[in-house]
Amino acid sequence: MKVRQWSRDLGLGLRFAFAGGREGWFRVLLTAVGVGLGVALLLLTTAIPNALDVRHQRDEARLDYTYDQTHRPKGADTLVISDIDGSYHGADLRGRLVEPEGPRAPLAPGLSRYPAPGEMVVSPALRRLLDSGDGKLLRERLPYRVVGTIGEPGLIGSQELAYYAGAKGLASHINGWQTARIKEFGRPQASGSSSEGLDPVLFLLVLVVFVVLLMPVGVFIAAAVRFGGERRDRRLAALRLVGSDSRMTRRIAAGEALAGSLVGLVFGTVFFLLGRHLAGSAEVLGISVFPSYLNPSPALAVLVALAVPAAAVLVTLFAMRGVVIEPLGVVRTAKPARRRLWWRLLLPLGGLAMLAPMIGQGADNGDFNEYLVVGGVLLLLVGVTALLPWVVEAVVARLNSGGVAWQLAVRRLQLSSGSAARMVNGIAVAVAGAVALQMLFTGIEGDYTKATGKDVNKTQMQVQLQPGDALGPAAAKFAATKGVRKVTALGGFQVGDGSFNTEEGPKVQTSVTVADCASLRTVATLTSCHDGDTFVARGGDKEMDAQAAQLTKPGRKIFFNTTRGNVDGPDFRWSVPGGLRQVRAVADVNGNVSPGFLMTPAAVPHRMKSLISGQVYLSLDESVPDVHEYVRNTAARVDPMSDTQMWAATERSDKFTSIRTGLLVGAACVLALIGLSLLVSQLEQLRERKKLLSALVAFGTRRRTLSLSVLWQTTIPIALGLALALAVGLTLGAVLLKMVNATVGIDWASVLTMTGIGAAVVLVVTLLSLPPLVRLMRPEGLRTE
Amino acid sequence: MTPPPGSLLAAEDLRKAYGPTLALDGAAFSIHPGEVVAVMGPSGSGKSTLLHCLAGIVPPDSGSITYAGRELAGMSDAERSALRRSEFGFVFQFGQLVPELTCVENVALPLRLNGTSRKQAERAALTWMERLEVDGLKDKRPGEVSGGQGQRVAVARALVTEPRVLFADEPTGALDSLNGERVMELLTDAARSTNAAVVLVTHEARVAAYSDREIVVRDGKSRDMERAV
Repeated sequence: MKVRQWSRDLGLGLRFAFAGGREGWFRVLLTAVGVGLGVALLLLTTAIPNALDVRHQRDEARLDYTYDQTHRPKGADTLVISDIDGSYHGADLRGRLVEPEGPRAPLAPGLSRYPAPGEMVVSPALRRLLDSGDGKLLRERLPYRVVGTIGEPGLIGSQELAYYAGAKGLASHINGWQTARIKEFGRPQASGSSSEGLDPVLFLLVLVVFVVLLMPVGVFIAAAVRFGGERRDRRLAALRLVGSDSRMTRRIAAGEALAGSLVGLVFGTVFFLLGRHLAGSAEVLGISVFPSYLNPSPALAVLVALAVPAAAVLVTLFAMRGVVIEPLGVVRTAKPARRRLWWRLLLPLGGLAMLAPMIGQGADNGDFNEYLVVGGVLLLLVGVTALLPWVVEAVVARLNSGGVAWQLAVRRLQLSSGSAARMVNGIAVAVAGAVALQMLFTGIEGDYTKATGKDVNKTQMQVQLQPGDALGPAAAKFAATKGVRKVTALGGFQVGDGSFNTEEGPKVQTSVTVADCASLRTVATLTSCHDGDTFVARGGDKEMDAQAAQLTKPGRKIFFNTTRGNVDGPDFRWSVPGGLRQVRAVADVNGNVSPGFLMTPAAVPHRMKSLISGQVYLSLDESVPDVHEYVRNTAARVDPMSDTQMWAATERSDKFTSIRTGLLVGAACVLALIGLSLLVSQLEQLRERKKLLSALVAFGTRRRTLSLSVLWQTTIPIALGLALALAVGLTLGAVLLKMVNATVGIDWASVLTMTGIGAAVVLVVTLLSLPPLVRLMRPEGLRTE
Repeated sequence: MTPPPGSLLAAEDLRKAYGPTLALDGAAFSIHPGEVVAVMGPSGSGKSTLLHCLAGIVPPDSGSITYAGRELAGMSDAERSALRRSEFGFVFQFGQLVPELTCVENVALPLRLNGTSRKQAERAALTWMERLEVDGLKDKRPGEVSGGQGQRVAVARALVTEPRVLFADEPTGALDSLNGERVMELLTDAARSTNAAVVLVTHEARVAAYSDREIVVRDGKSRDMERAV
């Protein structure tokens, strides 16, 4: 009987929702758009793990495992592949040189055949870039003819820049780290899965980021199902008049909300599908996906489909508790029962209690219990939504004297502190979570950021050449490159007291640095220097200096390292000539003081010339646009397999950076979403008061007074909401820092930034609602016909 | 055009259209201090529009309105708002009391808008509430009082600034006859005691009976019943 009654009343509500004419439809649409946006965001979130998983699988499938020391003979089923990854205008560029050695050479995923030397196959995004004006400099770097496109199975994202270029003579470069001979793509069975997994602290971060971003979405959906509530209450009064009791009325109201949430589910699915389609042409944090990757997990999608309508019904029933609907009109309980603090405090305290056992666990890199983390953070943040109505009520009850605008605002807040608190709940939760995370990020940033020790004021780029690349001509090409101020080209190889071809190798080793006189002066103090000179540099680390002293004695027979990649070369012995000038080694561009031999190019034995590995250090005029691309192009001209690196003063873990950027992007999306809901509910409230506003203007109220009162009405709850958010956020942040055993400190700049962004959202919403407010204040509002 | 001699508020040849709908089509009106004039007519005849034009809420498309010898058309929006705050009072059928303010705060509101201090304004408001027999409701909010009581609070609010003209648009439209009559008695008595002119828009003859004179509006045109007789 009860179920029948419930379904009958809910059904009646559903019918009313759609039968209310233009206004009814407008309300359903309003709710549906709000719920739809939330649902789309939820579906997207449930699809992200799957998308990342597909990317990972695709990446594994095309793995060419160049870090392979196994020696494989050339065969009909082998391919030599060289990793020549780079970047262009800040975007990663995946590049491979390929040379199939037989008809059965393994084919890379996404390719139907390999390009011949001088040809390449490219990803669709790279093809677009090369065809566009933006790709002009990249076309110079990749002088190959495009003969095909890499298919989706060979790419990890729709915007990935990737190419395979045909090459010749690659086998001579096989070195076990950049160039390898392979028989298959994909991770070799023996090496196991590559999923390194996140370290526990990063895992904690990801969990908290998810909770922090999804919580406000939930709050937003709860607010969205209450759009248009006041007008609905009036309609329900008419139902009371024809005999429905107050419980029935509430269920009918829940039915109306159910209608909005059901249409919202449809809208959400449509928004998600549209977003999924658009995702194919977008790139976030350097990560792009193909639309087909974004498939929500079916279980989670079903959960969303059930939870959202259920939440709509429950939220409405809960909200209607405080509303008494009389047959001749709506009477709100004038003085609602005072809110109680004790159960509201239980929520954040419960959250703290769940997190407390994990304090200090980060010290020994221990795992965090994910359920306790999610539960604890969730309870703390839900605590914000529970505490805020109490705080708003308690504070506004004490506010009194002030001007007319202030009085209008304060009285309105006193009458409905709940709806004011509801309006800012989402923002408060988002800010509380973001503040806590910012604290955590700042606290552990040091663990994931390392100083490189590089002096970026003197050197901005470094190019590693291939063994045998002529250093002098290469340096000249770089020197002639636009935007290059200074070139330091240093080559080198190792020498030892024994052969490098034996298993144990030499016992004592030192280095030979090869460079022209100008470059040698950057590693040692030279009084005079001519091409053909050899020096012995002393200084630096004691042990290294002692080894260098042993090997640089005149007449000492030493062995040169002639290993080329994985392949041992024939022994080459050299007798240290007498009369070598001793010089003092000084800190090089890397800050190292290296003792050993210093040779000018003419002094290097001819046999060793093809074995010198060169490094070119460049000082740049970074005001020249595209200077880095010019350097990369020169490097590619010198040797397509050269490796160009940008210098940075610090190095940060990629995962750490992407989680932090993810939080910022997510927080921005969530705040924008909440701002939108704020605007909608603000406009709705104004529309409800159209007649009153017109009446107030009719008897001479200044528009400025009314605008100011609207501003106060938003400012007071948001100030209280942000204050509470700060308190909860700082507490949560401190607990999280204790959990990972980091020093508790507050980065006020980032805390205030997050708070400021929250406040800015409200300010923007208020400003956007002013033009409609001015329109509503027109005297035409008094017209009834 | 010269307004009738001795008139406080007068209008001639008023025209006002809302889109294609002609609300006023050459309407005329005049009222003397202390006089109660009922504007009658069927729904949609233009009587509320006439009231809105006379009160300076809505500017007419053409025609002239003079108040105490001053042309309303020549005033800025701010001047007309100031006039409404200090010289005019208003009672509407619905939606006029601010729901979040208590009754005494509602009545005191026009004085506060004029810059009177809160204490003084509420003291004056209480005096008027006593006169309209609603002083017992001073701390209640509009949602907690009956329709008749709310309307009396609205009348008190309209009179608290001791306006020279009181505009009442269907002031008893939402009340039963008993309550309606009591509101009308109190309204007209209070207005007469301050020598305020009352422009009373109604379609009920029973309400119009409280007036000294009737003007009938039909299809945007007005007809002075006294003159016609």
